[in-house]
This record gives sequence, C-alpha cells and structure tokens, in this order.
Amino acid sequence: MTALVVGASSGLGRALANELARRGHALLLVASDLRDIDAIGADLRIRHGATVRSLALDLAREADPGARVAAALEGLPPLASVLLPVGLSRMDDDLGLDAARIGELLAINLHAPLAIAHALLPRLREARGVIVLFSSIAAVRGRGRNVVYAAAKRGIESLYESLRQRHRETELRVQLYRLGFLATNLTHGLALPMPAAAPDDVARLVVERLRRGSARWYLPRRFALVAMVVRLLPWPLFRRMQS
Amino acid sequence: MRGYAVADTELSSFDRQFHARCALQRPDRYRLLDALPADAPRIARGGGVSYVGASFGGGAISQSLDAFDRLLVFDAEHGHLTVEAGARIGDLQRFLLERGWYLPVAPGHPRASVGGCIAADVHGKNPARDGTFRTWLDALVVQRPHTEPHVVDREHDADLFGATCAGFGLTGTIVSATLRLARPPRALVLRRVPVANLAAAARVLREAANAPVLYGWHDGGAAHFGRGVVNIGLASDDDRDRVDALPPASADLPARVAPLPFTAWNRAGLAAANRWLDWRWCRAGQAPMTLGDALFPLNRARLYFAGFGHAGMAEAQWLVPHPRFEAFATALADLVARTRPRIALIASKLFAGTADGFSFDGNGVALAIQVAAPAAHGERAFLEALAELAIAHDGRPNLIKDSTLEASVARRAIGGFEAARARLARHDPQRLHTSELARRLAL
Repeated sequence: MTALVVGASSGLGRALANELARRGHALLLVASDLRDIDAIGADLRIRHGATVRSLALDLAREADPGARVAAALEGLPPLASVLLPVGLSRMDDDLGLDAARIGELLAINLHAPLAIAHALLPRLREARGVIVLFSSIAAVRGRGRNVVYAAAKRGIESLYESLRQRHRETELRVQLYRLGFLATNLTHGLALPMPAAAPDDVARLVVERLRRGSARWYLPRRFALVAMVVRLLPWPLFRRMQS
Repeated sequence: MRGYAVADTELSSFDRQFHARCALQRPDRYRLLDALPADAPRIARGGGVSYVGASFGGGAISQSLDAFDRLLVFDAEHGHLTVEAGARIGDLQRFLLERGWYLPVAPGHPRASVGGCIAADVHGKNPARDGTFRTWLDALVVQRPHTEPHVVDREHDADLFGATCAGFGLTGTIVSATLRLARPPRALVLRRVPVANLAAAARVLREAANAPVLYGWHDGGAAHFGRGVVNIGLASDDDRDRVDALPPASADLPARVAPLPFTAWNRAGLAAANRWLDWRWCRAGQAPMTLGDALFPLNRARLYFAGFGHAGMAEAQWLVPHPRFEAFATALADLVARTRPRIALIASKLFAGTADGFSFDGNGVALAIQVAAPAAHGERAFLEALAELAIAHDGRPNLIKDSTLEASVARRAIGGFEAARARLARHDPQRLHTSELARRLAL
C-alpha cells in the first residue's frame, strides 16, 4: 500500500518518510525542492528497498495541488495513508504581514492540505484508509504572534471535525496531532520553555498508530497539560502573557 | 538571521584546547545550504569530533551537515557508494558490512563524517597498505557561495579535487562524495609483537606492511620510554576467527566525552595505567579480533578521554622518514628523560605514500603522542621541543590533530606550505571559508 507524505523534505515529514519506508510502505513524497526529496528517495530505496516516487510542488503557488498529487499516484500501489505534516511559520507573523505573505501562509498551511484531502478522498474511502492531519499547540488559543499560522491550523482542526462528521470509521479514519515543540530547523536557536521532541520519536508513534481509529492526540503528550493551562488561563492573565 | 536558523552556541574541540561561542546553522534542505549572505564567513561542520577547531571559530558561521547524511547511489556489484557529506563513518560501516563491503580507511572516531574525512584526508588502520581517505575517493561535489555545486574528480578540476582533500573545508562545502569500497576480511586475528623501544617498533611495522591492521602502542613514561607492542591484524579464513558485526550506533564513542572533575592522568595515574597495559598487552600471542575493535578502537576509550579532565589533552603527530626515524626516536627518548612530560599514550603507524598540500602522508613512521594538560608549563615546553626535534629530522606534522602547533612551526615543517596555501586561496579568493584552525595556522 502507498503512503503519501506532503512536506517530506525535512523535520517530521522526513522522519515519517523514513519510518514508513522502514515498515515497507510504498511512498509518494511531496516537497518544494526536488533535490531534497530525490535524495531522501534514493536513501530510502537503498536502505529499505522501498518504492519511492518524488513530486516537487510549490504549495504556496500551486493552484490545484490535489490534482497534481492524484496524478503522481498513478501506477503506485493503492493509496492507504495520507500524512500532511506540511507547514510554514514566520517570525514576523505578528499582525504585520502583507496580503501576499498571508496568502502564502494560508496556501501552505491550509489550502494545500484541504485541496489534497478533497482530491484523494475517493481513493482513501475505497481503501478504507487513514488521513493524518497536523495542527499545532499554537492553535490552542490565538495570540499576537503566529497569527496567520495559528488561524490556518485552526482550519485544519475544523477539517478534522468535518471529515469525522461525514465519514464512518469503517470508510475513513481521521487522525489529528496537535504538535508541541519539535527539534527541527524551525526551532533551532530558539529559547524554548521546554525541551523539543525528536522528530524520529514522534514519527515512530504516528506510524504505529496508523492502524488505529480516528482520534486526536497531543505529541509530545505533556503538551496536553500545557494546552489545558493555556486554555483555562483567565483572560486578564492571558492578555499579559508575552506575545 | 532567523531565515537561516542560526543559533548562538558554545563549541569546543575534541581535545578541549579551544572553546568559542559560535553561530551554528543547521540547514536541513539544499536551498538552506546556500542561504547565508554571500559575504558571510562560513565553515562546514560534520561530526564535530576534530581534535582541533576545524569546524568552527575564526568568526565563521558553522554549517552543520547533520541532515545531509543520505545514501545517494550504491553499486553493490562493483563497490561504489555516493553519499552525502554529513553521513557518519560508523553508520556507513554498519550499512556496508551487512552487504559485504566496507571502507578500508576510517578514522578511530565512528562519528566522524565523510566530509570531515575528506577535509582532513584521514588515515585508517594501516596507511602503508590502504593509503589515506583520498585513495578511495573517486569524486566529490563542492558547494561554493551562491554558485552551482561543482562536481570534481581527478580528471575534472583536479586542482580543486587535490586542494579539497586535506583542505580542511577551506575550498568550499563538501556536499557529497563517491567512494570506492573494499571487501572486508572474512575474519581477523590479532598478533601482538612486544617491542623494547620505538626503533624496534619501526622494524616490526616495516616487516608487517601488508597487514590490514597495523599500529603500535608505547609507554610514554621516561622509565620505560618506547616499550610496548605492535598490533598486527591479519586476515584469516578460519571460521573460528569469524568477525562479529559492528556494535550498534548506541555503542559509538559520543562526540563529546564528559570529563572527569579531576585529571586522572597525572604522573601516578599514567604510571599505573602504563603498568597495567604493559601487563595486559605486551605479551607475544595471537587471538581473534572483532572488526568493531579493529575499525573503532576509540569506542573503548571513553574513560581514557574522560580521564584528562577539564584540562584536556593535545595530540602531536609527526611523520618521520625511515632514514631519520631511529635517530629521531633516540633523541625523543632523551628529551622525555630530561623533561618528563605527562605523555598518556604513544601510537606508531607506518606510512608509504606521498604528501600533497597539507596532507599527512609520506614514507616513514608516524608517532601520535598524546599529552595530558598541554597548557601546563612543562608539557608546553615539551611539545615545543618535540616540534623542533621532529623538524630537525625532516618530520611532517598532522595539522588536523595538533592544536598546539603554531603557524611559524607549520610553515617550517611542511615543504610547500606557501604553495598549498596559495592553492586554497585560488579556490576561495575571498577567504569566505575559515575556522579556528585556519586562523591559527594562517591558512
């Protein structure tokens, strides 16, 4: 069976690709730069004997990413898993972005997962497959930073609810991860309030749970507590938090 | 600098002689590898296990190649591997051995990267037989700022190929390399030949020049200076000597060994350790040897490195031509008797190559001398005197090992120093690639 990983060139996406290949899945890897996914594909073929296909897509500008992905799946074994760890955040996403930058963030973080999920739903239903969405701890409560990013991730959570509301577990399973800090290029050099999780560890858990039913999880698990505290914080206190 | 994900971090050399706060970038995609401003000084960083500050310092942004560790092409029939420069040698050996191949030239530290091995042109377990890392290097890809990656080999841009091997990362960032592989020995047996002094060791080394593994260990104390054992690893077809697979990555020596809170290698500690090693090792005999021990002897040396404490150590490594070696060994014994430095270890190896640029190669015997607390007055004086002695006997220093070496000494010790330096400058006229090593030796 084939697994699709969108945002496969680095961080959690790359770790997921590695874990899936290790467990024998055929893969379609999508990222913006062919050099990266070609290198990952070569590595997975050599190490694990995996069937890997690469698709370079600029999700910030691609009008119909779903159609491109669907076309790239032709000839591969049936699609059973769609994992969408794609994401982009900016340090200046603090209510000062222009329309073009807002559009870019929405395109990558929301439009692309929505469009790909829509395009692949018939195949996934046919295979009784699973779609895995990734939200963020940043989406728990809106703050003065990561404004567009958090809004897009809230959209992903809405997509999770819509898919679950529409489909029975026997037709399509939907899984959502609210991610805390991961040790990736995005957090490198930042003073984080708690340790970042290794993408390989997170990927192992996500792939292990692919056979499970629909559910929503926090990873690392300690972020469930963080989210609860942030959500329950009285408004006057929350307002005084550093944005 | 957030676009490039640069962190302010403290880095130190493996010998603990140089520490600096540095900007560290961790590119995880190809476009980030060349995302720094065109005029930003930079240096590639592999495993970060160099004894000297070769991958940081000198005002450069260190570019970690950790994420560039992928296998790109593997020809299992003919034994060729194209791999990204951040791949760790230990990981590669594990992958290759399972498929009937290995890298015959590998440094002692399994976390060294392919790029680091090329940049230092490292030697392995018997350089007289296997040459240095460049011997097994067919081609490489070099990234220079804001240009297309450059594919070079011995035919296409041989000058850049030559300058990059033992070029310490100063010609550009090595992105990937194509390596020739060899079939590993079916099994190994270790023959130990006790020797009374360094001159005797040189004779044993020369007689065993074709062994897959060949090195000597010697007592560095004044009382028994040079006494030791030459270890000769021989290929065996006997299944009873069958080598084990390499231990898992978790058994690899870490990139940073936490030092003990005190220096265990004081005079009493060294004397006791030498007596124990003398009793354990310096007896003639033969026994099966695991490939893990043969390829990565440092994996068992965690406590040894920790024992240097916060003061650390320094390794002076000099290659002395055969005709001068006996006189050099005798003079060295006299020097040690006079100055009584805290020498923790002496290792001897045989070389039979030709030096090119800054490479550590030649035709002779190399001694690696590890000294505890090298900043102390007596040890510093010994290292300076050792350098003079080696130069007087036509010795050649290993620049990538010795953090105590000064530019003036390196200039006198390496014939063609200026020509090698000019070659580096030809390939990086703006000197954008720099490091503490480059600064200290004025490369």
